[in-house]
Amino acid sequence: MTFLHPLALVGLVAAAIPALLHLLERRVPPEAEFPPLRYLSEAERQSARRLKLRHLLLLILRTLLIVLIVLAAARPLVPARTGGATVHAPTALAVILDNSASSGVVVDGRPVLDRLRAVARGSLARTAAGDRVWLILADGVARGGVRERLLATVDSAAVSPRRLDLSAAVQQAARLVDAEPLPAREVHVVSDLQRTALGAGRADVPRGVRVLALAPPPQPPANRGIGTARVTDGAVTVGVVGTQGAAAAAVTVRVRGREVGRALAAPGAAVSIALPPLAPGWWVGEATLDPDELRADDRRVFAWRVAPPARVTAPQDAGPFVAAALAVLADGGKVGIAGAGGARGPDVSIGERPDRRGGARTNVVIPPVDAALVGQVNRALAAGGGPWRFGGPGTPGPIAASSVAGIDGIQVTRRYRLEGGEDSTVVARVNGEPWLVRDPGEGRVLLLGSRLDTAWTALPAAPAFVPFVDALVNRLARGEAPVAEAEGAPRVEFRTRGTDTVGATVYGIDARESELAAAPTALVRWLLGAEVLEDPAFAAARFAGTGRADGSWLLLALALVVAVVELGVATLTR
Amino acid sequence: MTDVQRVDLLDPAEVARLGGIEIVAQGVVEGFLAGIHRSPFRGFSVEFTEHRAYQPGDEPRYLDWKMLARSDRLFVKQFEEETNLRAMILVDASRSMAWRGAPARLTKRAYGDRLAAALALILLRQRDATGLITFDEAVREVVPARVKSGQWARLVRGLVRTPDGRGTAAQAALVRLTALLARRGLVVLVSDLLFDRDLALTALRYLRHRGHQVIVVHLMDPAEAELSGPPEVRFRDPESAASVVVRPRELARVYGETVRREIAAWRTACRRHGIAYHHVLTDMPFGMALRLLA
Repeated sequence: MTFLHPLALVGLVAAAIPALLHLLERRVPPEAEFPPLRYLSEAERQSARRLKLRHLLLLILRTLLIVLIVLAAARPLVPARTGGATVHAPTALAVILDNSASSGVVVDGRPVLDRLRAVARGSLARTAAGDRVWLILADGVARGGVRERLLATVDSAAVSPRRLDLSAAVQQAARLVDAEPLPAREVHVVSDLQRTALGAGRADVPRGVRVLALAPPPQPPANRGIGTARVTDGAVTVGVVGTQGAAAAAVTVRVRGREVGRALAAPGAAVSIALPPLAPGWWVGEATLDPDELRADDRRVFAWRVAPPARVTAPQDAGPFVAAALAVLADGGKVGIAGAGGARGPDVSIGERPDRRGGARTNVVIPPVDAALVGQVNRALAAGGGPWRFGGPGTPGPIAASSVAGIDGIQVTRRYRLEGGEDSTVVARVNGEPWLVRDPGEGRVLLLGSRLDTAWTALPAAPAFVPFVDALVNRLARGEAPVAEAEGAPRVEFRTRGTDTVGATVYGIDARESELAAAPTALVRWLLGAEVLEDPAFAAARFAGTGRADGSWLLLALALVVAVVELGVATLTR
Repeated sequence: MTDVQRVDLLDPAEVARLGGIEIVAQGVVEGFLAGIHRSPFRGFSVEFTEHRAYQPGDEPRYLDWKMLARSDRLFVKQFEEETNLRAMILVDASRSMAWRGAPARLTKRAYGDRLAAALALILLRQRDATGLITFDEAVREVVPARVKSGQWARLVRGLVRTPDGRGTAAQAALVRLTALLARRGLVVLVSDLLFDRDLALTALRYLRHRGHQVIVVHLMDPAEAELSGPPEVRFRDPESAASVVVRPRELARVYGETVRREIAAWRTACRRHGIAYHHVLTDMPFGMALRLLA
């Protein structure tokens, strides 16, 4: 048996009071003359046995009364069946409230988040002072603290544009509660249990941690949302996601508030809508769908830059593949070939050494064919003030690049290690070592660890080669980053360097949030190790493993009975 | 004058504040005799002695109609006993008699003295020879039975002279009494009877056997009839070193039953031997106590 207020048990010392009073009271009674002592002695002789029994009974009853009252004050917790449990043993509890974008879907005229908040509130409201409690929302942050503050957080939790990985969240929560030295540990998963919210692997839930998951609504509504919106080649490609088999919906594209195109698309399909010719510069547009039960995914913004083609010069030593790619790009109007007429000099030069005389703004430097010339190139680079230089030969390996699309994994068979510069200027790596770097020295210089030749790398033979050269001369050489995508409320944030805008980040909700289908119960049980329960069962199962009823009322009732018996014995047996 | 205002019917303690034993006894007797229609202690035969003025309460049959016709005034005839009753009043003067349960009450001894004096006055007015013996563990004072004038004053002095004693040996006193009562007569024992019942009854039975009419007046303070007091108390017998610690509330019921049983035992034993027994509480008006004896 455990007690909520064990310190009150000190009061059991008071159980000795009746016996002490009895002894103290007997010590010095007042004395008085009483002539008919013979009658008194006779009466006492007749009553001696009855009085002895009465005294013993009263002593027992009064001691028992005090013991019962003290025990009641200590609030004993007795094991109780689920329904009767009013309190519980100290418990480490983590409540995962999935307020991700999908929780904003309206079912039966009520947002799912309202139901989830009510259930989470119920779990937190049941906690007691001896519990340790955390609240995890869609942002994945575990908030600890007092119950009232967490309840306020639940009450104010709105639909978040963030996606919650339930498997990761359960694992995090399980570790948190498992670290607490308390008798019970529980994780309450209050979520719509989207199938897409579950990770691929099983959550590692330590033994002794009980995971309860609220069962999702039986039939989520059909949903359509805009999963992607990206601009390529003068057109925006809009991908529609959502419930498979749902009817097509109208996709509307607007640029700066003006509708520029409309098309029909069903979930799983993508439509391409041409953008009108626009002046050079950064542009922001939005693709929208007609409103449905989930509004958060009905709109997605996108950004792109309309830039004039770079003028490129490529000496003979750049190799035939570079020349061919530039020719293709020139045919498409993506680049201009310097020296082919026009008064303006080249914007970008690609060659074995920096072009100081040609006046190119940016040089893309590739290793020389003759290894003996590497030192000369390094001196030229150093003369430009840049820290990067060519080192010794590097080991073969695949390319790893996050900011250049399409070149990841392409094999490099021959390369020079690039040395001397800072990590922050590395654009792509091979075997973890810099392979493509941006030298911040005088004049913009891009250094490649391999020649763009099939003897050095498979890149020139890959379909991504021409886009790579395009990115190299039109974006990377100009110091621009690509348009990045991030999770968040729909908006666009531009990155600047000095007065130049060098990139943009487009925020939107994760496309997986649009797929509202709930995970099968068996899958949830398997992946999260959770008991999946409907609302009433969930409410009953909370703290059920350590469910305790407050036994003080029973003890007080017993004390009342004992008091009545004591009163009866004290008055009726005189 | 109503009955309530009669001295003999007032609270004994209130009456005792009027003065000494004589005054109290006289007041009580006057009130007592005024309230009854005939003398309760008439002798065996009577002879006319004198007239006196009629008082309310006197029986009309004693009116002297001839005197009324001659003088137009009411007189009653008074008679002298031809053969006087010899009465001896035994008053217990033991230590236990000097106890009272509350300061506002008379001690049993004080009550018994006044009752004895009043009784003696009534008897003497009836021309009965009346004597007194006071005793505790021994006989303390003996006033032989006489009917001459000044006898009542001697009896009262005898009562006043007797100090509060210590123990009680009623049997010894009663044995001594048998020697003093040569002629048959009336014996009135005024006592709290806190002594061995069997021994005392043996002596009383002997008196009865000798042809005496015996009346036992059992005096008891109300606090002796119903036990009360602090939660726990050590009660000590004033006549002995014995003491006992009791909780009055616990023992009150059984004690009350014991007292009632004791009284019943005295009454039964006395009745069995032709002895009149009267239980008198010390808060009982003297008139009522005297009426019990009538």
